[in-house]
Amino acid sequence: MSRDVIVQQILNGISLGGVYALEAVGFGIVFNILKFSNFSHGGVVTICAYFGFFISTRFIPSLWGSLAVTILFGGVIGILVEKLVFRPIRIQNKPLTYFFVNSITVAMIVQQFFSALWGSNYYPFPAFIKETVFQLGKLVVSKSYLLMLSMSAAVLIALSLFLRRTKTGIAIRAASSDIHTPALMGVNTDFIVSITFCIAGILAGVTGFFLGMTYTVTPFIGSMILKGIIASIIGGMGSLGGGVIAGVLLGAMESLLIAEVGASITPIIIYFAIIILLMVRPQGIAGKLYSVKA
Amino acid sequence: MELLKLESVSKNFGGVQAVHAVSLVQHENEITAIIGPNGAGKTTVFNLISGIYQQDSGRIFFRGMDISGLAPHKRSALGIARTFQNIRLFNNLTVLDNVKVSYANRISYHFFDEVLRSGKVKKEERELEERALEYLKLLHLAPYASSFPGSLPYGIQRRLELARALLPEPHLLLLDEPAAGLNPSEIRDLMDTILHLQQSKKLSIIIVEHHMELVMNICSRIHVLDFGKKIAEGTPKEIMEDEKVLQAYLGDVGEVC
Repeated sequence: MSRDVIVQQILNGISLGGVYALEAVGFGIVFNILKFSNFSHGGVVTICAYFGFFISTRFIPSLWGSLAVTILFGGVIGILVEKLVFRPIRIQNKPLTYFFVNSITVAMIVQQFFSALWGSNYYPFPAFIKETVFQLGKLVVSKSYLLMLSMSAAVLIALSLFLRRTKTGIAIRAASSDIHTPALMGVNTDFIVSITFCIAGILAGVTGFFLGMTYTVTPFIGSMILKGIIASIIGGMGSLGGGVIAGVLLGAMESLLIAEVGASITPIIIYFAIIILLMVRPQGIAGKLYSVKA
Repeated sequence: MELLKLESVSKNFGGVQAVHAVSLVQHENEITAIIGPNGAGKTTVFNLISGIYQQDSGRIFFRGMDISGLAPHKRSALGIARTFQNIRLFNNLTVLDNVKVSYANRISYHFFDEVLRSGKVKKEERELEERALEYLKLLHLAPYASSFPGSLPYGIQRRLELARALLPEPHLLLLDEPAAGLNPSEIRDLMDTILHLQQSKKLSIIIVEHHMELVMNICSRIHVLDFGKKIAEGTPKEIMEDEKVLQAYLGDVGEVC
């Protein structure tokens, strides 16, 4: 590969990695608080992708308008999923396995729902951006990739400020270390869990919209969050920053490998690399070891 | 004036009577202790007062209001704060942020204000920072503000729990074995701190403690629990001479002699 091709691929990969980072954080923030792997996040991503498609083709043709509405919608869906699916078992203090099973069930229901309703068809988003690329020296920069990268970065920076500075953010971080104690400091735990799912939903809104825009909308679009979950794990469970770094690295590595060895071999290499990485460094890039069952 | 009243409160755990028909009254601005052998139900009483457990029967009043069914965070908002027998700090948060957590119910702005970052939010965030630092200073924790609690000595972690409990300016402070793991000079500091807080903040304090020197020196009244039942109440002097108490601690004296 020439140097230009490598730089080009890394650039594309980082943009895709931005979306993986969003997925990793959306998945990780719920794990941090409730300590279960929330596969329903993929379901929420799917719902948001369909919603984004629907809203942008029928009602709001502008990119920013439909993106904003999809983000808000995602937040509401996040809250609803928590209230309907996870709160009842949390109030009864059920074991983590229940949460894990419920989260997979939600993902399956969403997938089947859209398959049954709209068939396994592909729905393309409208072409928001007319001139799709621009030249930067020898590099070809895709405008939608650049948009994805800058939006992902903006969302993650805003979230990081929120978590570090505001009282709700501090309470979310406190609950990540111990969910029972903050209540004795006056923190309403139900509200904190609700807000956490709302944040995950907002991230799912951005993810679903961008994935739908980049690829096409199918009932299986939510399964793409597997990459984000992997990024979250190799980043280190419990470390949102680690998930972001791992997401971007994963995206860049994937693009490079696709250019070098092709799209069918790439996943095999990446998954093997992940198994080896976790053998050598089980706590991930920046995290600590968790001993939870689900 | 009556601050807290437990009216014949009971709690079972799978058939085990952890707390059985315990009644007690705590007045404003006084320091009392709950003592008793291990497993007597002392921490359970604290958990019932702070709302971690719901009692099976009986009622709890705080400032004249029945708080029996109230969630823990609402009791905290009313002015009940506590520390823990086994330290429960947030190890992923800095010392400063640990203290800030307990400000949750003292800030008036709403979550959506926070998202929109109105001027009110910025002002209150500044105030929160200042007050948190003030409490760190009060307990000589200022140098550790940006450290993580897990890396600090035990005595300092205990002081941090105290700072975190004090920040929302509670009316009632529950201290669960505050002297556990401290050395004699740290215990003397702790006694001074507790007395100073009672006087300067007009606090009412209940202490669960095994360290008798601390209990006898700073508490005006003592409640004694044994197997979940209250067996005695009185001044330190009365308690030291109470036969039932001696029996609970030393076994049946008559049989030994």
